Amino acid sequence: MIATIREIANRILGRGEATITVPSFDGALKPNQTLESATILLECEAPEDLATDGDSLLIADGARLLRLAGSSPTTVRTFERPISALATLPSGGLAVALSGTEVHVYDTIAAKTPASVFTGELHAVNSLAPASDGTLIATDGSSARGVGDWARDLMELGQTGRVFLLDPRTHTTRRLAGGFGYAFGAVASGSDVLVSESWRHRLISISPHGAIRVVLHHLPVYPSRLVPATGGGFWLTAFTARTQLVEFVLREPAYRRRMIAEIDPEYWVVPRLRSGGSFKEPLQGAHIKTMGVMKPWAPPRSYGLVVRLGADGLPRYSLHSRADGVNHGIVAAVELGGDLVMIAKGPGRILKLPLSAISEAARP
Amino acid sequence: MTGIVLSLSKATKLYGGVPAIDSVDFDLRRAEIHALVGENGAGKSTLTKVMAGVVTLTSGGMTVDGVEVAPKTPLEARHLGIAMVFQENSLVPTMTVAQNLFLGQEKFYNRLRGIYIAAQQFLQSLNFDVTPTATVSGLGAAKKQMVEIARAVLHNAKVIIFDEPTATLTPEEKKYFFDLVRDLKKRGVSIIFISHALEEALLLADRITVLRDGKHVVTDDVSKFDRTRIVQAMVGRDLSNTLYGAPKQKVRPSGRRVLTVQNLKMAPMVKNNSLSVFAGQITGVFGLVGAGRTETFKIVSGVMKRDFFHGGEVLLNEKPVRYLVPAPAVKAGIAYVTEDRKVEGFFETASIARNVYLGLLAKFPSGRAWMSRRESNAAGKTWIERLKVRAIGDEIKVVELSGGNQQKVVIAKSLIQEPELIIFDEPTRGVDVGAIVEIHELINKLADEGRAVVVISSYLPEIMALSDRILVSRQGKVVEEFSALEATEEKIMYAAIH
Repeated sequence: MIATIREIANRILGRGEATITVPSFDGALKPNQTLESATILLECEAPEDLATDGDSLLIADGARLLRLAGSSPTTVRTFERPISALATLPSGGLAVALSGTEVHVYDTIAAKTPASVFTGELHAVNSLAPASDGTLIATDGSSARGVGDWARDLMELGQTGRVFLLDPRTHTTRRLAGGFGYAFGAVASGSDVLVSESWRHRLISISPHGAIRVVLHHLPVYPSRLVPATGGGFWLTAFTARTQLVEFVLREPAYRRRMIAEIDPEYWVVPRLRSGGSFKEPLQGAHIKTMGVMKPWAPPRSYGLVVRLGADGLPRYSLHSRADGVNHGIVAAVELGGDLVMIAKGPGRILKLPLSAISEAARP
Repeated sequence: MTGIVLSLSKATKLYGGVPAIDSVDFDLRRAEIHALVGENGAGKSTLTKVMAGVVTLTSGGMTVDGVEVAPKTPLEARHLGIAMVFQENSLVPTMTVAQNLFLGQEKFYNRLRGIYIAAQQFLQSLNFDVTPTATVSGLGAAKKQMVEIARAVLHNAKVIIFDEPTATLTPEEKKYFFDLVRDLKKRGVSIIFISHALEEALLLADRITVLRDGKHVVTDDVSKFDRTRIVQAMVGRDLSNTLYGAPKQKVRPSGRRVLTVQNLKMAPMVKNNSLSVFAGQITGVFGLVGAGRTETFKIVSGVMKRDFFHGGEVLLNEKPVRYLVPAPAVKAGIAYVTEDRKVEGFFETASIARNVYLGLLAKFPSGRAWMSRRESNAAGKTWIERLKVRAIGDEIKVVELSGGNQQKVVIAKSLIQEPELIIFDEPTRGVDVGAIVEIHELINKLADEGRAVVVISSYLPEIMALSDRILVSRQGKVVEEFSALEATEEKIMYAAIH
């Protein structure tokens, strides 16, 4: 009863949950346009994830697994279903998630048949990473919606994300923790696992016993995959930025129900990986363009961001593609040979930035 | 027109046998801008108060236009054509601009309309954009300053003395003020101005006089001075490298986010303001007066309240907080060091120890019904030593201290609370150069200890010397952020104005 009264009061006064505010991009997240200066390595139809064996780059492009060593890619293998996550293993093996429901582990990258296959509980596996104990960490975004249906999961305020530990030696699956607002990206941090929780805009650390500790709160973005960085720390990608418009819609269940039922999903008020294609796209209550030129500081429908985290999980600096940029929807990153390679899923690009240039250009 | 309009010879003023000024020789030429500089306690104020008839000389003489005079009251000085514009302005806040202008010159019957028309004409003749019917309490610092100047000119002053005239002005307003002073000079008025900002003295003055410990050190044409020479003359040592030193080569990395302000609103000053403050870093906040900087941080520290409806959000350590009074903010680890220390910073007739102890009392979870004299004395002694407060003892009243030492007491009062987030609002306003260095060292030390530090300042060299990151505020919100490595005065000022 008291909660209901408080909720009504908050709605009237614009307080508590009804404040509808978004944290600003400041400090280490201060905007720049560094991602727009990245070199385009490759343009793909449906790039999803990256991995490296130390010499070459492995790219999950739809159902194809590509290897890029030099300038032209070669197809390693084509699967029957789209690849939703990719990871190389310290032993030289390869782990591939297919459509989010199946994980295949291969002894070598070129192996024809998988050494282990994990299915069962898996529903929307979107990230794989080797753990320190030899197991494989898998984040399962949602147990209600498929891996490509993440926007619907957000609109339904999904909290069914899970983190699994897959053991290729015993072929067993262990649920480490669950109840996440879209778990999307994980990396081993000592004996713990660092996980991105997209819908709650935070990073959490999960101990081997399942105890959860929040490492980073209130991000102004939807965090996605994590990979280790040279010199300690991690790279965190964020597939888009939060806006007050989406935050407002997330507080309006009736509106969301009607939107889901009646409007083409292409024009839903949801975060996007790319934007600017149609005048039908929902705008926020602000002028987006002046004299036909997109304002970089306009509320973005799509955005590109990679954050360099320290070993303590705190942001050090960040690389941006703002509202007026193109390289939006960064979903994966990996270090290779002195470069940071990233996927901008919005325009379907594989991007490359020299690490030495990044540290000079992007550090605040 | 280079005749001497005012001169002092062997001027000495003793307070309880201690000289505030000691055998000072001073002369002011007609239509001259003469800067008077020196550390706090150097005797600048006493010297000018002698001229303005506020205090009388113990020995020595004073002449105006070659005639020996000894004004005993400000009224006598005014009749001699000497007016003083004080640092804390002497206007009556509840009266209108016009009423303040004609205060003391009222006739038997005063028609308000007549006063307003006369005031309007007079202000226009000076090209001052001030409404004569406006109540003084509603005016900004710059406009109050204008009214003070207008009053001095109205009284046909041939000598106008300004005590720290630019301390409360923004850079843009300062430029306007300088034009005004130059205009007065053209009218044949002689100007004496006291300033701690040496650049202003170098920029504006024709001649500079430096005082130290109540004694005259040097008077010379401005062309023969540079910053280093002034500072050396003021303090007897070279401080120029430590004060507002070279641009930063390295900044502290940001720690965890301690404070998040999101869409904060307090009409009409704060409009959708959003910012973050991180641990282990100094966040500088720059902006012109009216940019909503002080108000934003007063809301954070519970001194002011945000809008009742849709007032935005403040998060301390990622948890939403809403302080209606300062006490819970203090307990949560927020300390706000006010820009107006004389009104909000301390009880001026209480001792240093008592003032510092009051800061500690505010921190106790459920208050205290009694005060421990032993605790109070211990706190006073500790903090006098730690912040190098120059006082005869911890029982001395704060009002008897110099500006720099008063500021240290205000800071001590906050630091005794062991805050996690400490907000300095204009930390060195009206503080001498020696104390500025010490206060800056203290602020840097706090950041090095891992505390989140905010420095609000209208003085660009201070912001650039202290800050690791600089937030520029304009019209109620933060509009730009710079790293100290990339910031230049031009970039910051451009963001603050455009």
